[in-house]
Amino acid sequence: MRNLFRIFKFAIQGFFRNFWLSVVTVTMMLMAVLSVTLLISFDYIKQTTIEGVEQKIDVLISIKPEVSSDQVENLANDLDDLAEVKKVRIITPDENREIFIQSNLDDKTREALDIFEENENPFNYSLTVQAYNLDQYSVILNFVKDNKYNDLVEETMHRDYSIFVSKINDLSILVNRYSWYIVLIFILISIIVIFNTIRISIYSRRNEISIMKLVGASNWFVRTPFLLEGVFYALASVLIAMAIFYPVLNFIQPSLNSYFQGEQVINLVSYFGEHWLWIFGLQFIVLSFLNIISTAVAIRRYLKV
Amino acid sequence: MIKINNLTKNYDKEVFALRDVNLYVKPGEFISVVGQSGSGKSTLVKLVIAEEKADSGEIVIGGWNITKIKNQEVPTLRRQLGVIFQDFKLLPKKTVLENVAFAMEACGFSSDEIKKTVGQILSLVGLKGKESRYPHQLSGGEQQRVAIARSMVHKPKLLVADEPTGNLDSINTREIVDLLRKINRLGTTVVLVTHNRDVVNNLRERVVTLDNGYIISDQTQGRYLL
Repeated sequence: MRNLFRIFKFAIQGFFRNFWLSVVTVTMMLMAVLSVTLLISFDYIKQTTIEGVEQKIDVLISIKPEVSSDQVENLANDLDDLAEVKKVRIITPDENREIFIQSNLDDKTREALDIFEENENPFNYSLTVQAYNLDQYSVILNFVKDNKYNDLVEETMHRDYSIFVSKINDLSILVNRYSWYIVLIFILISIIVIFNTIRISIYSRRNEISIMKLVGASNWFVRTPFLLEGVFYALASVLIAMAIFYPVLNFIQPSLNSYFQGEQVINLVSYFGEHWLWIFGLQFIVLSFLNIISTAVAIRRYLKV
Repeated sequence: MIKINNLTKNYDKEVFALRDVNLYVKPGEFISVVGQSGSGKSTLVKLVIAEEKADSGEIVIGGWNITKIKNQEVPTLRRQLGVIFQDFKLLPKKTVLENVAFAMEACGFSSDEIKKTVGQILSLVGLKGKESRYPHQLSGGEQQRVAIARSMVHKPKLLVADEPTGNLDSINTREIVDLLRKINRLGTTVVLVTHNRDVVNNLRERVVTLDNGYIISDQTQGRYLL
């Protein structure tokens, strides 16, 4: 216990008293942490973009003018009972009118509404239906085309972004496949950089190590503070990365808020808020492990005194 | 205290550092080992502190045959010796107090014991009041005093001093040699390795002269021969 306390004390002293050496080492590790965090951000943005586009796909069912609200509700319920349907939304005639007014039509088109009295509404009910995945829209369209609903449905429009989505998916598969190579190359470069940084750090303190050995310190007593210093380097670089990353996220988040209209948003702040422990905790553990291994390897030759 | 029998060490097939050396040092003795550069003095020190291993012969220190000492036993041996070097070998990022305390911390002494002993030893070597200074804030003589304090703090029976005055001026040299004599009078065996003629001649103690790896002279109250 006494020795553990001393080792902890020596590690803290070593970290702060070799200040510039620590700054250089932490900076190198900080680069690695920031790069990995950026990779994670890009992955989240890619995933959210695909989900956002997928949410834009739906079937719009226009209802005939004479259909009552109860009949519309029954149709909506029938659709909702389908296993393929994720969400059904009824758009009332008033809502349709409002959407028409708010839509980006020119003034002349909007003026077309003026020929109607104020209590007159030329718009009917309509339904928007979303499926769980792209293949299920054909099932929904066939269901609505059934004779049973001929008296209700005026027309169906499938806002089909499937080609776009499939292209994004293809790109995503491609990116995922090559991102593994990129990540592997990156990890390799990080390992080499971190190992060499630690090696240089230990090399510059080799005399210190030999002196400790000459005054009777055991290998364990000399080595362990250096291993612990490696953990401190990892902790410092991860904490600094967080201190840099979160303000930057808060700064860029407003410009991401309007990227998608609707429920789907690219919310990096909330993503990193919810997953901070996983993202930065794992990086800390991996970096600490890497530092410990690098230190153990680098220090070995200088302990032979 | 030290028994060296037929000790041989060579770094190369052609180059012998020590050849068939026999040396006996009694407890409490003050012995100077002298010789020119390359005579084998430093090799002898390295063998005694197990920094190197002998090719043949044997070394016994305080009854412990260290000729074939295992790596994990080396720290135990060094904790029983005090060693000082020409270049002081102080830890640059530790204060005077921390440098001296480190030797005790490595031995596992308690904090109370360290606090008490370090204070006493720093007073003995004349460094009271300079505990919180770093080595670069001290003169050469003061740095060597710190090294002596560190080597003595765990009360070893044997002190090996390898050219301790090599980097010092004549005043500091005299002070350091006086300190070594004081330590010897307190009962510690001192082996002083030096090529400083004046130091050896003034000591009037036992002098062992090495030349080309051989002991060529061993005088009880000797003088620097070469």
